[in-house]
Amino acid sequence: MKHFVITLFALMLATVAVAQNAQMPENVSIKSLDGKTVQSSVIQNDGKPIILSFWATWCKPCNKELDAIKEVYEEWQEETGVKLVAISIDDARSSSRVKPWVDGKAWDYEVYLDPNQDFKRAMNVVNVPHTFVIDGKGQIVWQHTSYVEGSEEEVIEAVRKAMAEQPSDKQ
Amino acid sequence: MKRTILLSLLLAAAASATAQGILGGHVTGNIQLDGQTSRADSTIGATALEEGLRLNARADVLYTNGNFSAGLRFEAYQNPLPGFNAKYKGQGIANYFASYDGSWLSITAGTFYEQFGNGMILRAYEDRNLGQDNAILGFKVAVRPVEGLTLKGVIGKQRYYWEWGDGLVRGVDADLNLNSLIKPFADSKTRISLGGGFVSKYEHDETILADNPEYKLRLPLNVGAGSVRFDLSHGGFNLQAEYALKGQDPNAVNNYIYRKGQALFLSASYSMKGFSANIQAKRIDNMAYKSVRSESGEMLYINYTPAITRQHTYAFLSIYPYATQATGEQGLQADFMYKIKKGTALGGKYGTDLHLNASAICGLKTNAIGGKGTLGYDSPFFGLGNLYYSDINFEVAKKVSPKVKFAATYAWQQFNPVVEGHSGSIHSNHVIVADVTWKAAPKHVLRFEAEWLGSNSKYSTDTDDKRAGDWIMGLIEYNFTSKFFVSLSDQYCYHDGIGNYYNISLGYTHKATRITVGYGKQREGIICIGGVCRQVPAANGLTFSLSTSF
Repeated sequence: MKHFVITLFALMLATVAVAQNAQMPENVSIKSLDGKTVQSSVIQNDGKPIILSFWATWCKPCNKELDAIKEVYEEWQEETGVKLVAISIDDARSSSRVKPWVDGKAWDYEVYLDPNQDFKRAMNVVNVPHTFVIDGKGQIVWQHTSYVEGSEEEVIEAVRKAMAEQPSDKQ
Repeated sequence: MKRTILLSLLLAAAASATAQGILGGHVTGNIQLDGQTSRADSTIGATALEEGLRLNARADVLYTNGNFSAGLRFEAYQNPLPGFNAKYKGQGIANYFASYDGSWLSITAGTFYEQFGNGMILRAYEDRNLGQDNAILGFKVAVRPVEGLTLKGVIGKQRYYWEWGDGLVRGVDADLNLNSLIKPFADSKTRISLGGGFVSKYEHDETILADNPEYKLRLPLNVGAGSVRFDLSHGGFNLQAEYALKGQDPNAVNNYIYRKGQALFLSASYSMKGFSANIQAKRIDNMAYKSVRSESGEMLYINYTPAITRQHTYAFLSIYPYATQATGEQGLQADFMYKIKKGTALGGKYGTDLHLNASAICGLKTNAIGGKGTLGYDSPFFGLGNLYYSDINFEVAKKVSPKVKFAATYAWQQFNPVVEGHSGSIHSNHVIVADVTWKAAPKHVLRFEAEWLGSNSKYSTDTDDKRAGDWIMGLIEYNFTSKFFVSLSDQYCYHDGIGNYYNISLGYTHKATRITVGYGKQREGIICIGGVCRQVPAANGLTFSLSTSF
């Protein structure tokens, strides 16, 4: 019973905080594709928005989403300066196949490994694909789980909105 | 009780912080509910649930303020869903921690997850859909004194359902990136990372009798395991290796033998834009490493030895999923991807993706020495045992027009039932999958999936393996915007077997919230519907799921 009250309390608390935009955590350890351990603060885009996409090699909808964005990525970058950072949650079973996978798919994204899912937990990702839009100040301004054909439009809409609401002061 | 008060204080502090906005900070979290009803159905192996409804629920709440964070997780299993261990029954705070994560120092007190290298000697992790959680309760420290060097230390006990195992786990690990540490090497095209770790577990003595019950085993109270690893890249080439060695560790999984354990993992790849080749090799010998020696189930593993077979998500390709045999196995996997350029005869207007994957896993060649209390067996490094599993699969994916995408897969899989602890001959399956996505109109997307499985195995009441026989499957999925979906599917055994699994699913997704309701018969395994993949148990009835992140 006591535990139940605590949880209820926690949930109420959570609803209070929903209105606020949380920051993307900066000091979670992830790995670059050449095996180097880095902190999540390396995810930067000079004050412009970032699309942060959690995926895995075995996840079909994730691959569909990243393939679909690949087709329009250049246009998106020209229009908004956005950068897509893909976080692979593949564990040791398939993490060594991520770099060849990304090359084989001919993706131009910045990719990091999260083999023990520390970053996934810190970002409260339940299932993949889970995509975030981070504004120029590192705030999480939009998120969405799952992918169907065409829903990449919602991602770029969220990026445009983020830019309109918070024009980059570096431009 | 004390814990409850502490947590209340923590949450109260967090609440005042956010409400007043003086201290700042953010509360984030996620909630997941999974419920299920099931009627008895002997044709698929589903049992009636006495309770009518079973429910798994969890909520993670995370408070972050600058470099400080604190979190807790509430879990409730009322009662655990079929497929989850009955010992999960109950509810309470399963995880709680406070953590400081600065640029050069991280400290966590409470429960935590951690992995050294590939996890061969230490991996504390959770997979909520599998009911897997071997979190460590204790302390974790990570220091990054200079760029390119990470030192880690952990100590604690592991989660055992609602208790904490008796065994004490201690470990240290170093991770080095030579390009960052050695200045002249900074811009080299050759990238090298090295690492190594050591783990030790301590457990009190107990009475375990040898095969001859007049003798009691002299058990090691401390069992150590070490590993070294490297990761070398040069342009498109990449080479990764890890080797682990474990001391004498008589335990319930290896039947209390005193043979040392070892594991080797190798991966070599070459890739360039539009092409990749990857070959992996693995050998595991007596590497079940648990913090409690008498535990033979799924919990209290200190290390992780993954399968190096492809993780399939199509239903018939994952019908016989391979699981690592921690007591001993060796295997090879090769994976090739090629993108035929757009504008060529085979590539067409949009290009074509080809993917070939093959793997074979065998047991070790062993010469028996004795039973409990002996060295167990001897095994030549290059000897081959029985085939456990093999898989050759080839996939072609193509965008045909702006509205239509097509993917087809052929696979041949062999599966030795000994992997699941049964005897019998090897199942040999041929599988064909066709998957078409049609964007009928803006915001209206239809997906069709057809699968066929032809098997040499026939259903018999002796083994009662309901996967036997020849199967066909059809699936239609309709997505309206990215918010709503409905899907209908049926798997039907038309020859040499039994079973007919029909299912209807409805779903709603809004931002990071997702609700799905399904009705019908569900086979145990991984399913992917409406854009998300997850593990499901066997059932005949209603299932529902809600997840949200905030």
